[in-house]
Amino acid sequence: MSSETILLVIILLSGLYMAWNIGANDVANAMGTSVGSGSLTLKQAVFLAAILEFSGAFFFGSHVSKTIQEGIVNSEIFIDTPLTLVFGMLASLIGAGVWLQIASYYGLPVSTTHSIVGAIIGFGIVVGGVDAIYWDNVAFIATSWILSPLLGGALSYVIFSFLRQQIFYNAHPLDATKKFLPPFVFIVGGVISFILVSKSFISLDIPLMLWHRLAISLIIGALGAAIGYYSLKKIQSPTSPIKTTRSYSPAVLSDLSKVKKHLLSAQGSATGELGYHLQILLEEVNGIVVDMQQSETRDSIHAEYEMVEKIFAYLQIISACLMAFAHGANDVANAIGPLSAAVTILLSGSVTTQAGVPLWALALGGLGIVFGLATWGWRVIETIGKKLTELTPSRGFAAEFGAAITILAASRLGLPISATHTLVGSVLGVGFAKGIGALNLATMRDILISWIVTIPIGAFMAIIFFYIIRSIFG
Amino acid sequence: MLTILHLFGRSPFAPLQSHMELVAHCVNKVPELFMALERQDFDQLEKIAQQVSEFEHQADLTKNDIRNHLPKTLYMPMNRGDLLEILGIQDSIADKAEDIAILLTLRPLILPEIFKANFNAFLAINIETFNVVHRIIKELQDLLESSFGGIEAEKVRALVDDVAFKEHEADIIQRKLLKSLYRHDDQMSYTVFHLWQKILETTGEISNLSEKLAHRIRMTLDVK
Repeated sequence: MSSETILLVIILLSGLYMAWNIGANDVANAMGTSVGSGSLTLKQAVFLAAILEFSGAFFFGSHVSKTIQEGIVNSEIFIDTPLTLVFGMLASLIGAGVWLQIASYYGLPVSTTHSIVGAIIGFGIVVGGVDAIYWDNVAFIATSWILSPLLGGALSYVIFSFLRQQIFYNAHPLDATKKFLPPFVFIVGGVISFILVSKSFISLDIPLMLWHRLAISLIIGALGAAIGYYSLKKIQSPTSPIKTTRSYSPAVLSDLSKVKKHLLSAQGSATGELGYHLQILLEEVNGIVVDMQQSETRDSIHAEYEMVEKIFAYLQIISACLMAFAHGANDVANAIGPLSAAVTILLSGSVTTQAGVPLWALALGGLGIVFGLATWGWRVIETIGKKLTELTPSRGFAAEFGAAITILAASRLGLPISATHTLVGSVLGVGFAKGIGALNLATMRDILISWIVTIPIGAFMAIIFFYIIRSIFG
Repeated sequence: MLTILHLFGRSPFAPLQSHMELVAHCVNKVPELFMALERQDFDQLEKIAQQVSEFEHQADLTKNDIRNHLPKTLYMPMNRGDLLEILGIQDSIADKAEDIAILLTLRPLILPEIFKANFNAFLAINIETFNVVHRIIKELQDLLESSFGGIEAEKVRALVDDVAFKEHEADIIQRKLLKSLYRHDDQMSYTVFHLWQKILETTGEISNLSEKLAHRIRMTLDVK
């Protein structure tokens, strides 16, 4: 096997590994909120994520991939030494991948996007000199990193404030939901269509002018609104006070009686302080069982809130799909950008500045993400979904939708941003609109630190691996 | 990796409700104390007093647990200071219940005939006031759902007004009781007199604190 073939294989494997990493660790942050709020089951979430991440990557991932492939490092500098660019892209992939592995091990909130961008800048400076970097693009990208969580937060804040004011503060929340849903879906559908419909959607070269796009957006928006309106008509407003009974499954009660048995047997051999605590626990468990056995009836306002949340569950499913699509579109570039740059040079033998992103690369990236999701990512979604009990569908929808719009817009503009950090910003936005019980603001500090740390480390790793690779294959 | 998960902190609102349940345990033992006193069953009185003490201790443990999990970096729809104040007032109601229990065990007392009827009414209104504010705390979860506004907040506001009214009624009866106590101060020794004075004062504190608690909660609402 020639060294070129070996190099090709390594590049493909590294790109796939990066994509696998994205599917394994990153997708969960996008889909976990929907599982936690109960809008989706784990199976549904994984299934939807698989389809939509791939779709986002394949149909919409070219813009950001192009930026990473040729928008950061000036490939013209490598016209005489194309292999150097190949080594550099490979080194960036491996360097970023290694850093991500270390960071996941220590549980640090590191972004795949920041790692790869930092890595590419690192190798670019060292090998091509400071002039090899398109600093204006880098400035745009860096600005987008700061702006995306802020924009996501602002959007989600506005969305949830609107929901809070119009629906939750309303005397008849269910009626308010029915009134506001169709125009809301119209705006939602319209905005999404507008962002998605473009010349390079599915790489079709259909000349679409602005008014074409507007018309399509309006039609899709109206369609969505109509569907929403007719689905809601079926839901009756409670004319008389609804009594909802909270019934607990007998499985739960039998589990609790097992708990009591265990506690009693532990109490048999415990003395002193431990015995005291066990006594308290037993009394608590007894109290819980009594509460569960008496079914509670609540008055109609609580029942209305429950129905409102049920409606929002459907909206949250839509926003979860959007999140997965947007995440696939933006993050596939982290794996595929360097990969397609390296592979096209290897296969064509020279550097081309207007290469574009090949479809097979996007498909490969999409498959890698799905593979990561299927082998490891579903576990992370399950963990997040089980432990995230705070989020109701209305809050989840507001956060996910604000984040998804931001990520989609950034993807359309070709800006590689961190989907996770944007979602964090959005959740914080909902929290500031008084939507969530308790938020850990320390996460902001951790994210800030990860920004400052990731870029130099990513760069450093890329540089080291570059020299290693060049010494082996150069 | 689990970034989104770490973003959500431990909400103190459910523990706050649990703490209130413990306080309710303490307060609900107080009528039992007085029933034992009426039967002159001093052994039973001691036993119940001990139970109240234990419940109060549990409430303290829960309170400190909540406080320990409330870092300054936690962001909530309710002000951190307000939340801690509400927790403190809740806990002081349990303290008062324990105080009543202790006071009743200091000396073998007899409920004076002069104010027996009024005292039972006084005790009842204090417990009622507490029960209403207990109901308010139970509504916290629904308040969260409606972001501390809307119909739910209106409902709570109406309950707060109810608490204030009941507290006023309690004050009126307390005044009557004190008057008859002072009028008949020669019928009892000074120690007994002082003890009944303390008991009246401490029992009255249950409705006072309940009203304070209700208004602190009212302050956090988004009502017009």
